[in-house]
Amino acid sequence: MSAFKEYFVKVSKNEFYKKWLKDAWPYLTGAILLSLFQIVTLATTGNPWGVSGVFANWGAWLYEAVGGSVDKWYYFSSDGAQATLNNGFLNDPGTMRNVGIIFGALLATLLASQFKFKKIKSKKQVIAAIIGGLLMGYGARIAAGCNIGALFSGIASLSLSGWVFAIAMFFGAVVGSKLLVKFFM
Amino acid sequence: MNEVVIDCLGEACPVPLVKAQNKLKEMAVGDVLIVQIDHSCAMKNVPEWARKDGHNVEVEEVDDGEWEVIIEKTH
Repeated sequence: MSAFKEYFVKVSKNEFYKKWLKDAWPYLTGAILLSLFQIVTLATTGNPWGVSGVFANWGAWLYEAVGGSVDKWYYFSSDGAQATLNNGFLNDPGTMRNVGIIFGALLATLLASQFKFKKIKSKKQVIAAIIGGLLMGYGARIAAGCNIGALFSGIASLSLSGWVFAIAMFFGAVVGSKLLVKFFM
Repeated sequence: MNEVVIDCLGEACPVPLVKAQNKLKEMAVGDVLIVQIDHSCAMKNVPEWARKDGHNVEVEEVDDGEWEVIIEKTH
């Protein structure tokens, strides 16, 4: 057992372990990788990267699994949306990417030995998280995209809508930080 | 020399940063502020701000996913 422990103590002091797995990567590295994977996504799936639209599909599949039907819902009425839903969970590239993000994030935090269940500090946090989550989800659907699908992918596709989204998000963030300081300080 | 600890465990970004900034303003030169955090983005932005502002900063990993940012106010 102690040899086992010794090995991990040695690994934790290794400079490559620290550089690649433990410490946060520089913003520039992140930006370059995001751009590369955006290109890979567009080339392999034919669509730019999106995150939140996939969650709407997950909701639809869940609803169908318990006997519901979304065929008549406006949001899912397009041929594209119907085709995605009919293909199923396992054949949706966006689903695979989101699952990859979730497990990748877990793996990264485990490899860095930084996994932790965070305590809930106050009721305020819970209420803010629920309201914030619902507003973000609703906003992402009526704006036809989140900060990835509408902003990052929009601008990367040279679409004006991405810049409009950026300006709106900037003012939203200003209001959001004022609320944050008011209620959480 | 005073030592002040602020408990930001369970607080998401950017709450620890704003709390640290507000607290440091009230403190005297030479005082030490210890910010306890468990949000990895605060582990990046709190030291970054404090170093840019010219203070002495040290980060200590006290447990899995738990850090203490130690800031000595220099001006």
